[in-house]
Amino acid sequence: MALVNKQYLFGRKITPVLFLLPGLLLYLVIAFGPSLATIVYSFTDASGIRGAVVNWIGFENFDEFLFRGVASRDNLDALKRTLQFMFFVTALQFGLGLLFAVILNQNKLKGRLFFRTIIFMPVILGVVIQGFLWKLFLLPRGGPMAEVWGWFGLQSEFLGGTDAFWWVIFIQIWANVGITMVIFIAGMQAISDELYDAAKVDGASGWQLFKNVTWPQLTPAINTNFLLNIIGSLQAWALFLVTIGYKNGTQVLGYLVYAEGFGQTSGSVTSSFRQGYAAAASVVLFLLVLVLGLSANWFVTRREMKYMG
Amino acid sequence: MKTKQWSFLILVVVLAMVLAACGGDDDSTDTTAADGTETTAADGTETTAAGGGGEDVTLRVLVHQNPPMVEFMEAFNASFQEANPNVTVDMSVVETGDLATVTQTRLSANDVDVIDIFGFSNGVQDYMGGATPPAWQQLIDAGLLLDITDQPFVQNYDEASIADAGSYNGAVYQVNLGRVSYSGMFVNDDLLAEVGVATPTTWSELVAACDTIKAANYECMTVGGADGWPVFVGSYGLLGAYYPDQEAYAQGLWTGDTAWNDATTQDLFSRYQVYAQDMLEEGVTGLAHDAGPARYSAGDVAFMPTGVWQAPALEEAGPAFQWTYVPFPGSDNAADNQYLFGKYDQGWSIAAKSPNQEAALAYVAAFSEPANYQDFVNAVGFLPTQPTATLETQLGEQVAEYLPNYRVGFEQFWVEPSGAGQWSNGSLAASWFQPFNEWDDSAALADQSQADLQAGLDAVG
Repeated sequence: MALVNKQYLFGRKITPVLFLLPGLLLYLVIAFGPSLATIVYSFTDASGIRGAVVNWIGFENFDEFLFRGVASRDNLDALKRTLQFMFFVTALQFGLGLLFAVILNQNKLKGRLFFRTIIFMPVILGVVIQGFLWKLFLLPRGGPMAEVWGWFGLQSEFLGGTDAFWWVIFIQIWANVGITMVIFIAGMQAISDELYDAAKVDGASGWQLFKNVTWPQLTPAINTNFLLNIIGSLQAWALFLVTIGYKNGTQVLGYLVYAEGFGQTSGSVTSSFRQGYAAAASVVLFLLVLVLGLSANWFVTRREMKYMG
Repeated sequence: MKTKQWSFLILVVVLAMVLAACGGDDDSTDTTAADGTETTAADGTETTAAGGGGEDVTLRVLVHQNPPMVEFMEAFNASFQEANPNVTVDMSVVETGDLATVTQTRLSANDVDVIDIFGFSNGVQDYMGGATPPAWQQLIDAGLLLDITDQPFVQNYDEASIADAGSYNGAVYQVNLGRVSYSGMFVNDDLLAEVGVATPTTWSELVAACDTIKAANYECMTVGGADGWPVFVGSYGLLGAYYPDQEAYAQGLWTGDTAWNDATTQDLFSRYQVYAQDMLEEGVTGLAHDAGPARYSAGDVAFMPTGVWQAPALEEAGPAFQWTYVPFPGSDNAADNQYLFGKYDQGWSIAAKSPNQEAALAYVAAFSEPANYQDFVNAVGFLPTQPTATLETQLGEQVAEYLPNYRVGFEQFWVEPSGAGQWSNGSLAASWFQPFNEWDDSAALADQSQADLQAGLDAVG
């Protein structure tokens, strides 16, 4: 009977929930629904072609992805490469973002707004623009970077050679370090000046100020950046598509999912569409993100409890 | 409270409308027959589409990026629209590598009427256990391509192209617009004359020619290495020189009658390495395929091993540039180097569920008229699939003597066994040597290719 009570139905208690409904439905339709469908698809031989027959094949896709022939070796290599990508991107982007934030948060520094803008600017470019920009910079014949390399007697094929994977790591960091920096700057600006003043009165050096005041007080920003960097780098694949394309020995798991699902794996123009198999690969990627994300979350939560109470 | 109530009600109504709009429209387009004569539009009214009822039609055409072809299509579309005032052609151009993906997504969304599709190839054979059917076969099995067997314009094309590149299970789903060869190379006649080298007809002559050319401070070869595939396509002539019957070779690899690491193929791999590391100029890893003709017509490179489709772009990039096109001399026996290998290139298919089928059929029929087709062939440099057409270009003259020796290439027959490793298709091996990828030992790579292939063959039993 409570539901027919107008006060209850349209009262304060229910109204906020109702206003949440559109967002919730949007989430269910756009995010949760497809995620659930992906898990279901991973147990089928779906091609993704409308009207094609779909058969339930149990764990066959997972078996093929993880154990069959030597394709599984290549998939596991992609898995390792994904972790490698995550480790280097997270570590370097985090470190550089923090360094830039410390430097550019000093009020005495002239031009700090200009440099913040320059460092943040790549973030507003789309991944395709970021990729094409660096493809031009890194042309091995006549490109600006090749010219600079030449000054030191060096030569590189950049994105076309065996170092391509490392160049993509570099581009990923360049593209996203600005957002890491901004989050750190926001965190630093929320720290009370009184803490610094008190520490200075006690004779703290610059390093001690950073270690004992800035670093603990930055905990929320550190945790946010840490999680964002890990999850962002695990899901990165579009940059590989734009800068390298499908090339043996360079794929990360996210790109493998796309390539298998949309027939981009062979040199031929007539590859097959295997969206059931790609769904299985994406479930593996999801589990990886889940495990690493939860572990990282557990770690940062403990850290937050330690410093912030 | 009144305001809250109204807000809530408005919210619910808006939400309901949004969800209703998001609802499936699977049945909105009910195509009644494969002959494409009658369709039911989204509003449920039957239409006869372009040309017939005179209703305004936007015909959605999808083609892949090939500058001379796109230029021709723009002109053809203008003339088609002039002849059919009620039709507006909306042509989308996508990169070659994305064509299959865009075709699949737009066909599934019923968002395209006429599709540029490559000649049917890589069909699963009886001896290929566990192989996944190619994309075109998946599309037909799903009922997304129109059966055009009975359309009069199909008769304009030669029987071989209809049978080999456009048919499946006894029905025709594509008219193929031309064969291309990809196993030859362009030759810079002026540069060869300057350094005193004749056009090589054997592998040894080619190696010696490259040495002479490089000693004179010129480059031996260039390809658009940034796109990956031009590197191995440039080496298809080597594969052809060793294995002229490429369908039999693909079958032999599946059945175990031959292997990537037998003595003959080890030798082939060693020549792949010479091609990739000694013949191609430095820096091609950053050269896009589309930029290849401009680079080559600069004049300081002797050879460009690639497909004949680059001829129109080469003529445009350097009108004064003198070139010839010859089979890649991959063998030391000149007689083995007389073949041109290639594939069926672009064709037209029609979406089976298109609401604009009559306009789509009219479009392909107009394109297939001999005069229009002749103009198309001249523009893009394809070897014609209409018997009445001739390739009236410099390229046509160049390849005329090799046409009796034209063969469909390995790429069109090969299907990967499920579970095979990433190095299992040894026909791509030229692009796996340094600087393009990690390999520097041809024998080790040949062993790896065979091991990766064998693992797949073992996995599928």
